[in-house]
Amino acid sequence: MAGGTALSDAALPLGRGPLEGVRERTSDGRPSLAAALAGPATVYVALALLLPIALLFRYGLNHFTPGNDLHWPLTLENYVRFFSDAYYVEVFLRTLRVAVVSTAACLVLGFPLAYVLARMQSGAKNFLIMLVVLPLFVGNAVRAAGWMTLFGSRGFVNAALIGGGLIDHPLVIMYTETAVLIGIIAVNLPFMVLTLQSVIEGIERAVEEAAQSLGAGPLATFRRVIWPLALPGTVAGTILTFILAMNAYATPVLLGGPKFQMMGPLIYGEFAQQSNWPFGAAISFILMSATIILTAAANLAAQRRYRR
Amino acid sequence: MSDARTGIRLSRRAALAGAAALVGSAALPAFADEKKVVVGTWGGDYARLLNKNIEAPFLQSKGIEVLQDIASDEPRRNKMIAEKRLPRGTTDVQGLSQLNVAQMVEVDVLEKLDYGKLANAKHILPQLRFDYAVPHIYSGLVVLYNPKLIDPAPSGIADLFEAKNAGKVGVIDIQYQWTLMAAALVGGGSMSNFEPGKAKLMELKARGVKIYPTNEALAQALKTEEIGLCVMWKARAVQWQNAGINVKTIAPKEGVPLYISLLAIPKNAPHKEEAYLYLDASLEPEAQVNFALDMGYNPVVDDAAPPAEVTARIGFNEEERSRLVNPDADYIVKNDAQLKDWWDKVFKS
Repeated sequence: MAGGTALSDAALPLGRGPLEGVRERTSDGRPSLAAALAGPATVYVALALLLPIALLFRYGLNHFTPGNDLHWPLTLENYVRFFSDAYYVEVFLRTLRVAVVSTAACLVLGFPLAYVLARMQSGAKNFLIMLVVLPLFVGNAVRAAGWMTLFGSRGFVNAALIGGGLIDHPLVIMYTETAVLIGIIAVNLPFMVLTLQSVIEGIERAVEEAAQSLGAGPLATFRRVIWPLALPGTVAGTILTFILAMNAYATPVLLGGPKFQMMGPLIYGEFAQQSNWPFGAAISFILMSATIILTAAANLAAQRRYRR
Repeated sequence: MSDARTGIRLSRRAALAGAAALVGSAALPAFADEKKVVVGTWGGDYARLLNKNIEAPFLQSKGIEVLQDIASDEPRRNKMIAEKRLPRGTTDVQGLSQLNVAQMVEVDVLEKLDYGKLANAKHILPQLRFDYAVPHIYSGLVVLYNPKLIDPAPSGIADLFEAKNAGKVGVIDIQYQWTLMAAALVGGGSMSNFEPGKAKLMELKARGVKIYPTNEALAQALKTEEIGLCVMWKARAVQWQNAGINVKTIAPKEGVPLYISLLAIPKNAPHKEEAYLYLDASLEPEAQVNFALDMGYNPVVDDAAPPAEVTARIGFNEEERSRLVNPDADYIVKNDAQLKDWWDKVFKS
């Protein structure tokens, strides 16, 4: 794809970047500017992220004692417990299902909206972008509370349906997977839209016009031109919303209810309610690893598709 | 280094030493035994009333600064465990239930109390006296019902399991220990054996019991008459009655499990002297009466006497008091993991 080549890594050969001249050491042997610039952030990430993750990993290999004291030898019993118990595997698969479905829904709903926003020229564009961002000003828990008033057996949705004579008995929406999916999609949609919008804005309108002048219809233009060019942004938006959905906490707790368990609330329960840090740490690592592996795989697949 | 006007000569070493002393003296107040106490507590009304009834009249009025570390008991318990190895913790007093206290004693983070430092301790009701915490308020687990939906009135916990009440019963997810306890009392178990309660709860499940995530969600279901029967602490029932929810209570014939809220001191509390003052202030008759008036919980001391009509609403008469039972906190702590496992994987599945 010609358009793809122009934006691919080949356009910026490794070693020819803007920091080429300051990459290693200066002539008097002092550390380079690049190292100095990267240093503080690296130290911060190492201290604030990698060390706690290392500690978490260590706890995951610990045998549980009421005081959560670290001791030897290391054990895999927490991981064995998770994967040998159908209950925990089901929670993991449910989390995966919710994350995949909500991410797909965000993509399907978000792409047209992002396209319209990207191509808008009028002054209403900023206003509409603000409307997209507006839900992010409200915390997840508060937003879920709003959904609760809509979804309850005597909430707005049921009252309207019963009042309109469409149903006799209230629908069960609260404390179901559907409620959780609606809640998560509402939370994640702005992230998808904003990511896609900025990428689509970078695609020249002239490219679409060229495709159309060569006889491509709207569908073919989308499939052969816009989609491939927007793929990097689509992957970024998809990964972002997928990670958010995999780690959702407030929405599953408030809209899913006691019987609907996802990985985030499960981890909190093990750490906080049961004080079982080793098992909580192991579940955290399983969730983190699954998220990283799946996003890396998606990224890799997209890159291959992009380079074709 | 010299100052031309004064002629004072100051070496670089002296200047550094002076600067260090200045920084050191500025940091001194942080380490000095200032009059301060940090209280880990649940939020909401309880935190507000701690301030109104204990902190403002008995501590802040004497120049003691009181800071509240507000969170539910789960993160506060884990914070104590995480701080166990530190010589100085970050809190001086922790509000805990009797089940929480048993868990914290098990992990060895609580100070064994020196009752000699608590002038009001001699008035604590004998059955509420503990080695590692002072009781603050108490209530009992009662059967709560909506008289419009449940008629005639229930007589005990067994009513929850009757076929005629199918679909009208609600339980609370986070109260799994108390729900199992209540079911055990009906199923032939005891305060030290909840196993028979599991079979009873499976009967309830088969009859369409509704499970709510929190106390507040259950209150909402009572208000909308989605359910009409449950077990709950009497103090909560009083609060819900005050909020206009149509509910009444009965002290169950099978036994009334005691719920006790206590105040404990972590072993590594940095302000233990003030912590003891706080605990003693919580037992003051005036503070105890005010908590009964404001929150519907019973006093834990024999020298506090709320008005008779309040006692009649929140308390238990002599016959009911004979049925008060203290949960076996050690049993619950030791079996909590398997009880929670069963609750999640079998009862809720």
